[in-house]
Amino acid sequence: QVSVINTVDTSHEDMIHDAQMDYYGTRLATCSSDRSVKIFDVRNGGQILIADLRGHEGPVWQVAWAHPMYGNILASCSYDRKVIIWKEESGTWEKTYEYTGHDSSVNSVCWAPHDYGLILACGSSDGAISLLSYTGDGQWEVKKISNAHTIGCNAVSWAPAVVPGSLIEQPSGQKPNYIKRFASGGCDNLVKIWKEEDGQWKEEQKLEAHSDWVRDVAWAPSIGLPTSTIASCSQDGRVFIWTCDDASGNSWSPKLLHKFNDVVWHVSWSITANILAVSGGDNKVTLWKESVDGLWACISDVNKGQGGVSAVTEGQQNEQ
Amino acid sequence: PSQVVPGADPSARQLCFAWGPAEVLVCETLFGRRGGYPSRGEAAPARELLRGVLTGSGVTGTGEGGPSSSCVFVVRKDQDIYIQTLRKLFNESHGIFIGLQRSEEELAGKSRKAQLVQVSKNYRSVIRACMEDMHQATISAQDPALRSQYSTQVSILSAMELIWNLCEILFVEAAAAGPLLLRLLDWVRLHVCDVDNMVQEVLSSDSPPKHELFWNVVDIFVLQGRMDEARHLLSKEASADPTSMNMYKILDDLMKKMPVLSVGNTQTLTEMELKWQHWHEECQRYLQNGTFASNSHMESICKILLGDEDAILEKKELMTTWYHFLVTRLLYSHPTVKPMELRFYAQACMDLFLGGESSPEPLDMILMAAFEFEIHQVIKECSIALSNWWFVAHLTDLLDHCKLLQSHNLYFGSNMREFLLLEYASGLFSHHSLWQLGVDYFDHCPQYGRVYLELHIERVPLTTEQKALKVLRICEQRQMQEQVRSICKIMAMKALRNNRLGSALSWSIRAKDAAFATLISDRFLKDYCERGCFSDLDLIDNLGPSMLLSDRLTFLGKYREFHRLYGEKRFSEAARLLLMLMTAHIAPCSFWMTLLTDALPLLEQKEVVFSAEQTYELMRCLEDLTAGKSEQQKFQDDDVENIKVEMLRLALARNLARVIVKEGTLEGS
Repeated sequence: QVSVINTVDTSHEDMIHDAQMDYYGTRLATCSSDRSVKIFDVRNGGQILIADLRGHEGPVWQVAWAHPMYGNILASCSYDRKVIIWKEESGTWEKTYEYTGHDSSVNSVCWAPHDYGLILACGSSDGAISLLSYTGDGQWEVKKISNAHTIGCNAVSWAPAVVPGSLIEQPSGQKPNYIKRFASGGCDNLVKIWKEEDGQWKEEQKLEAHSDWVRDVAWAPSIGLPTSTIASCSQDGRVFIWTCDDASGNSWSPKLLHKFNDVVWHVSWSITANILAVSGGDNKVTLWKESVDGLWACISDVNKGQGGVSAVTEGQQNEQ
Repeated sequence: PSQVVPGADPSARQLCFAWGPAEVLVCETLFGRRGGYPSRGEAAPARELLRGVLTGSGVTGTGEGGPSSSCVFVVRKDQDIYIQTLRKLFNESHGIFIGLQRSEEELAGKSRKAQLVQVSKNYRSVIRACMEDMHQATISAQDPALRSQYSTQVSILSAMELIWNLCEILFVEAAAAGPLLLRLLDWVRLHVCDVDNMVQEVLSSDSPPKHELFWNVVDIFVLQGRMDEARHLLSKEASADPTSMNMYKILDDLMKKMPVLSVGNTQTLTEMELKWQHWHEECQRYLQNGTFASNSHMESICKILLGDEDAILEKKELMTTWYHFLVTRLLYSHPTVKPMELRFYAQACMDLFLGGESSPEPLDMILMAAFEFEIHQVIKECSIALSNWWFVAHLTDLLDHCKLLQSHNLYFGSNMREFLLLEYASGLFSHHSLWQLGVDYFDHCPQYGRVYLELHIERVPLTTEQKALKVLRICEQRQMQEQVRSICKIMAMKALRNNRLGSALSWSIRAKDAAFATLISDRFLKDYCERGCFSDLDLIDNLGPSMLLSDRLTFLGKYREFHRLYGEKRFSEAARLLLMLMTAHIAPCSFWMTLLTDALPLLEQKEVVFSAEQTYELMRCLEDLTAGKSEQQKFQDDDVENIKVEMLRLALARNLARVIVKEGTLEGS
């Protein structure tokens, strides 16, 4: 059973495209076709509007909270081709940086693990992925991967930070040598994995399985196992779970989670990566968990309108 | 199971979804095409039409299909941790859990078993205490909805205790044939039907035997094997009706003589069985003789004593449950039942009792699984039926300590016990204070406990300094360096945003964050330049070796030391330090002017402070500084700057003059 513990009336004047809780679940950021980004304080079931941020000139597609150690920072991306980074300074939210280097709608933004610093990946319909790194003093450095996906990139998702080799503590002040990776999904029906080598971003892997545009990718949080897991969903109605068993990241194998009857738009992992949420075109959000025998079972679905509590069925059949 | 989010427009909208740390966000959206604008990821208009058809999401125009909801729903799994009155359950069971983990494993055999049984009893008494509290809450609640909620909770707790008790008997204590039935009788008497009210009513009436419920009470006593009480009541009947004296005497005698395997009894099972057989035959004889023929009540009792299924079943309403029926049947037909035989009787009794009228409910299935000794099944059914992980997590942990669970590997290789504990503890973390209990549970999950703790503890809101310190202590105790650093950085950033520089500095030192320390040191120095004094002197004075974290911090510490030396009138030491700060390049170039200006009062002292060599050094510094400026800069420098430079030159020259004389003069001459 679930309860709605809070209903936040955002008063957005148009369709909401994304809503994200901050790290601690105390604040909520929403963005909408009405071009605004709003931030609410939602502690203790309340809803206080903290900020109504204007700056975009088109529908805002996504928002992403940075890690709290960098302060209160929020990124937003929009159809207007811009990425805006907002920061709370002395109690007020302001635009701290605006990136206009894309030629088309920016569809997805994702902050890198805090261990890497303050880095934002942005995927755009112009096919490029840009990486914005904060270098200090209000300055941002930009690295661009042009033609990451032909026609367009729809989603980006970072891999969790893992220190390669030994886990001996580095002397203070020295950064461990992280291998930075992220995954992207695009209109070329591909999921790609990117790796940073000598300061340059290179395409490390091409994951092919979808037969239509990839709408979302989500790299699962790490629970200390040597395996890496990525979920991808597509216009073709399929959701795949990709796993890579070896540390070098060479062999990825897909497993079909489920074939839905409609486009699947969004996938996301819970904090401890044991539940995957899938939002589809069928007015439902389904929650999936891997069972004993390695098959994925739907443990629940969240929907609106009529719907009763039905008996639990272990393991829905994977429809082809 | 399907979960419904209320308040949404039933038109063709989709649900957007996001995970929060302890909850999920759901809102209506339309991922696909919508009015005027193409959807995310769309570029060319031609494709739009195609997409529109594919997604089936209707067509153009804002507000197609009605205005979309502008609400975001924050949804959370109904967890018992949010029920105030259950707090005691979580807190106290936590204590029992920890005690169990740390208990003596070296104790073997009987003493270990006794220990485990005690733990089980402790858990049950916590459940009962909670039930009592909840019951009180139900009575005192004003709001009917609340009252109904509490009442439901009481039933759930009661069911939990029922199940746990049975598991204790069958699994933890593993009662053998003989004691098994006695325990089951206790179990039934304690849990199954509320006889006491009825008994009170009857006993307190003027003439109990005339009371309409009299025979019901006698029957229930018999059904529960409470012979003494049954006989006591029957004696009242006997005295009221002398004609049945004979019948009564015989029945009373039979009941008195019923062989019972009591605790401490030294007879063996075989002896008991023999006795019982004799007694059974005696009862049979009396029945067949028609001794009780004239009193249907007594005859029925005799039949019950003989274990007559139909006779017992007739009293269905009194027993209320099939498991009561089971135990009664066993009492009167097979009191030395072995544990492994239970399953056959259980299934048969449930079928007979329900008789095809009703189907078994989840509770029934759980109890049945227990009677069948299918421990995994019990756990599975409980997991499904109950809305919390508390029960299955603690019970499974106990059973694991009883070495009853084979390693039942789940996909990530963890066993069932750990899996359930992880789920339970994860749930605790969404509560603002119960999360602390969760820490201990994770500690006792050898495979994934640590990483789960790492992931969860990062999400605990650091609302106050105390809370942050608490979280920090937990991380430090477990050598979670990453989390320690992360928390310190977050606190440092928070302090900085609130202009608490001292706090920010000590947090960044703790985080060993050189970059941040530099940033804050700069702020301190900037403040000094603007206000002429330092804040948080205590902190800066006592930096100690942590001063070395960053160059700027070192400078800050040393600069403050300079001021202190000056204040203590230790001028030559102060002078030496000041010079060193510049020559050793500890001071940033931007600060040299300030340092040189600080040197002025030292240069103007009555006593000469700087030696000749030092003065030359200072002059060189000043020249380096001014030479470094471009012509344009010099032009832009305002008069104050230029005057300062001139004053310095003058002071330095004067000092040089004095010191040359002083150093050139011989002592005493």
